[in-house]
Amino acid sequence: MLGVFTLVIAVLVVIVAGTSVAIIAVRVLRQARHRRIAALAAGPRRALLNFVADNGEQGGPDLVAIPDEAWQAAEPGALALLGKLRGEAHRALVSVFLRRGVARRALGNLHSRSRVRRAKAAQVLGDLELRQAVPELCRLLTDRHLEVRVVAVRALGRIGDPAAAWRLIAALDRSDQIPSLLATHTLVQLGPEAEVTLSAALDHPQARVRAVCLDALGLLGAAGSVHRIARVLTEDGTLDVRVAAAANLGKLGTRAGLEPLTAALTPATRPTALRTAAAKALGDLGATSAVPALAALLDDEQFWVAHEAAHALRRLGPAGQDALRAVIEQEAGRARSAGVGAHARPSSAAGHAREALALAAVAAAAHEMATVG
Amino acid sequence: MSNILLVEDDPDIRHLVSYRLTRAGFTVTEAADGVTALHEARGEPPDLIILDVRMPRMSGLEVCRELRAGARTALVPIIMLTARARQQDLEQAYAAGATDYVVKPFSPRELVDRVETVLARVTG
Repeated sequence: MLGVFTLVIAVLVVIVAGTSVAIIAVRVLRQARHRRIAALAAGPRRALLNFVADNGEQGGPDLVAIPDEAWQAAEPGALALLGKLRGEAHRALVSVFLRRGVARRALGNLHSRSRVRRAKAAQVLGDLELRQAVPELCRLLTDRHLEVRVVAVRALGRIGDPAAAWRLIAALDRSDQIPSLLATHTLVQLGPEAEVTLSAALDHPQARVRAVCLDALGLLGAAGSVHRIARVLTEDGTLDVRVAAAANLGKLGTRAGLEPLTAALTPATRPTALRTAAAKALGDLGATSAVPALAALLDDEQFWVAHEAAHALRRLGPAGQDALRAVIEQEAGRARSAGVGAHARPSSAAGHAREALALAAVAAAAHEMATVG
Repeated sequence: MSNILLVEDDPDIRHLVSYRLTRAGFTVTEAADGVTALHEARGEPPDLIILDVRMPRMSGLEVCRELRAGARTALVPIIMLTARARQQDLEQAYAAGATDYVVKPFSPRELVDRVETVLARVTG
């Protein structure tokens, strides 16, 4: 019995000792490998940095001639640098990568069975801003893994080719979606040339797609699409989309948005969310001709409608703030004539007006302090 | 010749920017983190500071506030260099006392142009 016990203990000691030795050996080997890679990468890294710092004017052929092993050691660091630069330095770095066949390899890796490789390849192609890669990256928009789709969307945004807009919009329609906010941001990165596609997509059967396109048009400052957006505001069948249309008409800030936004404020039977968004948008629009319509909402039964109307008036500057003061004075006058003076219970309209004016006073004081400072 | 304190934790970016600034005729002192940057700036206040926002030990925003609170460094122009490009990030940087703001990905040439513009504005 004792012999068996001793044998078990001995076997366990051997296993523990063996495992420890193996762990130490792996760590030592790994450290040696890291040191070797760092030593190999040091020369190419320095040469690459100097080349980029010189905007690619000197040292290009030397970089292309670096042996493959040394280049592969330096490549991860260089790829990381690619995402942090633009302008001549970025172009210089890209020229080296192209000559070293990095783009060709990345295009091949887009078809890899490994999702990590596909995502990494998409990231590299995006950082290289390689327009030729756009069709292949668009194919990844329907990848079965969300991480790959997200990296592909970001890469398309970095490349900024408006030809990708309709593929991106089509990808929004799928069940395995891409995040709306990311899609909006990327569509904006595609630039004003994507406006026609975005405007056409306002007829898309899916509400989510229409809302994303509205946000992208607003952020792009697509003033040419105002009439189209105004039509969405009045005719769309989904409330969230109409609310998005109102908000983006405000962002676009053109006079053509004034009439449809004012019309959306009344009658009071319209959805509160829509009337609230329209009131807020009129403040963003900056048209003082909206003052009477907004002032009329200060005693609205819906708290948020009256609240947004008051703050929209505040943002409209002196004309809007005069209207807020007028409401307070009217109430004070009524209280005086009723003989209750300062003991009068404030109306909700005057309450909203006071709050908005107080905020305006704080903003003015802060601005004054910043100017003096 | 103006002295620039370059505070950036990425050694590649530091090398790149330092090289461009030196070629443009500036004298560059480098720091890899916020604590070293504060030490350098308080010892010998530079003419301008380029400050990364995300750094180990102390963020760029904290460094900026500390510098603005110090008598010798309160007026040194600070250009923030960061990948954060949202409106609230800009507001935070300016509230902390930044003079200018450069977003990554950035062009080293543009950064040098900004440095020259800010220095010209300050020296008037």
